[in-house]
Amino acid sequence: MTRICKIFLCATLAVLAVWQLPWCYAFLTTKATPNSFVMYSSLLGDFILTRYEEGDGIVRRDVAGRAYSEAETDSLLPMFYMRQLVADERFPDTLFGVPVSPREVQNTSFNFRMRPSAVNAPQTGIYFLLESMPKRVELEMPDDAFRFTHAGIEFITMETNAADAEKSARFTRMLAQKGFAFPPRLVSGNPTTMKDYDNGYLLLDARGRLFHLKQTAGQPYVKALTLPEGVEAEHVFLTEFRDRKALGFLTDAEHRLYVVRADGSVVRTGLPAYDPERDDLTIIGNMFDWTVKIASRGVTHYYALRADDYALLKTYDVPTDSGEIFGLSFTSPYDRYVRPRF
Amino acid sequence: MLKAIFYKEWIKLRWYMLLALIVTTAVAGYCLLRADRAIELRGAGHIWEVMVLKDAVFIDLLRFVPLLAGILAALVQFMPEMQRKCLKLTLHLPCPQQRMVFAMLAAGVAMLVACFAVNFAVMTAWLSAVLPAELVTNVLSAAAPWYLAGVAGYLLAAWVCLEPAWKRRVLNLAVAALIVRAYFLAPVPRAYNDFLPWLALYTLALSLLAWISVARFKAGCQD
Repeated sequence: MTRICKIFLCATLAVLAVWQLPWCYAFLTTKATPNSFVMYSSLLGDFILTRYEEGDGIVRRDVAGRAYSEAETDSLLPMFYMRQLVADERFPDTLFGVPVSPREVQNTSFNFRMRPSAVNAPQTGIYFLLESMPKRVELEMPDDAFRFTHAGIEFITMETNAADAEKSARFTRMLAQKGFAFPPRLVSGNPTTMKDYDNGYLLLDARGRLFHLKQTAGQPYVKALTLPEGVEAEHVFLTEFRDRKALGFLTDAEHRLYVVRADGSVVRTGLPAYDPERDDLTIIGNMFDWTVKIASRGVTHYYALRADDYALLKTYDVPTDSGEIFGLSFTSPYDRYVRPRF
Repeated sequence: MLKAIFYKEWIKLRWYMLLALIVTTAVAGYCLLRADRAIELRGAGHIWEVMVLKDAVFIDLLRFVPLLAGILAALVQFMPEMQRKCLKLTLHLPCPQQRMVFAMLAAGVAMLVACFAVNFAVMTAWLSAVLPAELVTNVLSAAAPWYLAGVAGYLLAAWVCLEPAWKRRVLNLAVAALIVRAYFLAPVPRAYNDFLPWLALYTLALSLLAWISVARFKAGCQD
């Protein structure tokens, strides 16, 4: 018995050493690595890298290494530095033959970020469906929440914690009429009032088909969206960008990224691969181009996409030091679960 | 004989356990009362929203209370045993020593678990009235590793208390602190869900450590 107990103690000490020593090493030796801010310039036809260099301060270069002044960079990225150009009275009237105004730039520009830790996280299973056509200008949080069951959708009045049978039946009926198979595999929404409008939810039903659900004047709005032939949707992300051109993004089992347009069409982007469970995605978009950053382990990919058809314009890869040290860890920047992993 | 051992441990722990039950339940009740006040002032919708969108659980004050309850239970049970050298007498009772030591630990764990079960019952009863099952599960799943830490804290404190040499006690204490850290890593509710059964098994296995201390005590190890 004593031997078993000692073996258990030794095993515990070994686990603690493999867990804590790499953590201590990383804690003591981690240094800040200078990061570049990379944006694609359609005017230049290349990426512009802005970074801090020892002795030179902040420098701006293209991929070939040619340096640009701050004012030149502002002009080469007019959609991103719009406010500076307006302040300097240098904002152009037209770009690529298209008339542009600061208001238009504001309305068509967006940022989108999706981290693996947001995808690989426990889900509560309770959602809020806002009214997408509110009587007042501002959005309001609803008085009820909803959950999906194997039989349908169930609304719960929050004040009483009791199911709203009538509303639940109405929404369940509409979803069933549209061919929705309960319960959904994935539910993606953005239930907050800090946005211009509400797009409701993008849902992947039990059979993997894509649906759009929202509440319009208290009534259910459900639309089945057709996926391109052979596409097996894996993740969906609802968006509420100001220009209202997109419903969201979608990735398939082959890690291809699609844009779900407001008309319900699903269009593949030119990105070679994006795995939401492992890669950190950032998109900075404007009416002419999108700069897409996909940070994977060991390398950060930058892609430039055309804004109208999402065709790939240019790529730029930067090898990175992931800073990971071999050892045991119970938490990870890639998910929000606690479990042992090497 | 085991019955007598359990009775002996009950005599040692009963008042402390009553106090632990009152304090832990009072802290849990205070957390629930705060949530109740928030519902009164801001409405139930606000509470649901912050629980769903911000991963709030409203029982954060309770985080280290079960751990403290577990550690104190071990101190109350084993410190007098070591100070008055009663353990030497206990080991001479006509009962296999291992069975006796593990029975002592089992009595402590059983009483702690009963105390924690009351906490869980109080929380479940109140939360179920105002929250849906999913959010009740959120709160209880956030609390589960903390309560497991209470049991681990008890077993590790017993290991430290029963250790006869002070230098080794300090070493054991450092190891125990690192082990306990593993129970407080949850970034969000339900984070431990998959790992919890394994952690529970490991927690029970921590009772093996106390036997190492008893074996060293029997061998006459001293500073």
